[in-house]
Amino acid sequence: MTLLRIDDVYQSYEAEQVLQGVSFDMQQGDVDVLMGPSGSGKSTMLRCINRLTEVDSGDIWLGDTHVTAPETDVNELRQDVGMVFQDFNLFAHLTALENITLGLKRVKGIHAEQAREQARDHLDQVGLGNQTDAYPAELSGGQKQRVGIARALAMEPKLMLFDEPTSALDPELVGDVVSVMEALAAGGMTMLVVSHEMGFARSAADDIHFLDNGQVVESGPPEQLFEQPEQDRTAEFLSGLQADGPQ
Amino acid sequence: MSTEESSAVDDVGIAAGVSVERPWALLVLAGFWGWLGSRWINDFLLPDSIAVSSERSFVPVDPVAAAAETLGSVAASLGPVGAPIDVLASLVGFVAGSLPHLPALARGAWLTLLLTVAGIGFGFVLAVPLSVGRVYGGRWLRWLSLLYTELIRGTPLLAQLFVLYFGLPLTQVIRELPGVGAGPIPAQAFWVAVVGFTLNSAAYQAEYIRSALESVDAGQLTAARAVGLSRSEGIRYVVLPQGLRYAIPGWSNELIYLIKYSSLAAFITVQELFFRAEAIANDTFRYTELFLLVALFYLALVLSASVVMEWVEERSSVPGVGGRQ
Repeated sequence: MTLLRIDDVYQSYEAEQVLQGVSFDMQQGDVDVLMGPSGSGKSTMLRCINRLTEVDSGDIWLGDTHVTAPETDVNELRQDVGMVFQDFNLFAHLTALENITLGLKRVKGIHAEQAREQARDHLDQVGLGNQTDAYPAELSGGQKQRVGIARALAMEPKLMLFDEPTSALDPELVGDVVSVMEALAAGGMTMLVVSHEMGFARSAADDIHFLDNGQVVESGPPEQLFEQPEQDRTAEFLSGLQADGPQ
Repeated sequence: MSTEESSAVDDVGIAAGVSVERPWALLVLAGFWGWLGSRWINDFLLPDSIAVSSERSFVPVDPVAAAAETLGSVAASLGPVGAPIDVLASLVGFVAGSLPHLPALARGAWLTLLLTVAGIGFGFVLAVPLSVGRVYGGRWLRWLSLLYTELIRGTPLLAQLFVLYFGLPLTQVIRELPGVGAGPIPAQAFWVAVVGFTLNSAAYQAEYIRSALESVDAGQLTAARAVGLSRSEGIRYVVLPQGLRYAIPGWSNELIYLIKYSSLAAFITVQELFFRAEAIANDTFRYTELFLLVALFYLALVLSASVVMEWVEERSSVPGVGGRQ
């Protein structure tokens, strides 16, 4: 079943064209990775899917929901689309547990005690069951990002968006976050990930979409894109990536 | 435990207690408030049969005055060597001269306290929507909020009070309200002053809160929206709790200003602290002593406010947000 359909999406910021006709589909349970040089529109593409950014033209469908239709209730849509940020964006004044219960209580209307219980389960799931009362300032980057993932998961989304989830982490902390993501992928979660983490792409990705100048240059499974890219631009970018390590 | 956990522990701020830093100041303030509180209870609440007369100080004046006189003559008899005793004598003399006026000043301090608390409290209620409108509002809301703030901050508080008291029918309206001026409820001038201080303080508080809101990372609201909170929910549950914590130090300044600016209410006949001091000075011609005395009152009030606000800042802070780290 097609869960996400992106159809000819254009988006511009002031005079600059960011997305220029992006199209791709994701099946339920797929894990897709968006790669491309900075400024290629990867993050903007993600933000269009939960309407943090509005498209200029084109359509996005999430299951039966016409995401880009003006009458779509964005707050309802966003419960179906979890998002994980490069800079974590944990609510700084709330504990790890409260970061998760806020949405459960205020958006889903779940009773406080039950919300805390669910939040504890989700923190356990990302290996932070012992950090429920820690404030973000007391957590390492890797721990913050795992709270960020738990916060998004707790809303029980149909699709998870990851916007460079490991780019702000010290190299030795990347592994914890990647293994949480891999476990999530193995569990059948549909995930769209902006990342240059080759290891994750190889182990978990069904398809990689290579973006450049706001267009999908090439799509395909990781082995195909990494070993035998059809486009020179893809080959050039990926060889740079493999030589220099993650950007 | 991995290295990430141990490094995270280092970031936990050491909670600095307020109370241990200035024990002397706290002791003096405790004495001041103990006396002031007893005075208010005695003057306002206790029945006349058991209360000390509201015109008389708790400490009898005569023995203190006598002590001052004795010290003075001892100092005079010692000649130049007696200079330190002479200083002591004038200090005791100052206390003796002040004692008869303390009950009236205590009653004035009551109104000063009410004016300040009401002004800052009601002002805060106005300031939060003003600052939110300024930062997150549409074009019109931003413009209106800015207009209000600049209008209030750009004109003298005294002029604002005069306009409210003399220029507008506000005084008449308040005078007609049931209960105003009856028994312990202050007369209309006090209420006009409360309105004035509220409107004025709101503008200043809004500026402090606005800059604090702007210092909250934009990613916080984005994350709130991504979870599914509406914009106003995100502001209420995520941005404001952080922004208000950041605002506390600046906001404390406004509280301290307002304690002193509340003396301007004297000019529209509110019998607060400064009004009382000036009235007594005009009667006794002891201007220096009275204004020195009233300055000490204000100093005690301001110090109390900063101690309270330090405590609030410390108590409301969480690791990473607010407090002095």
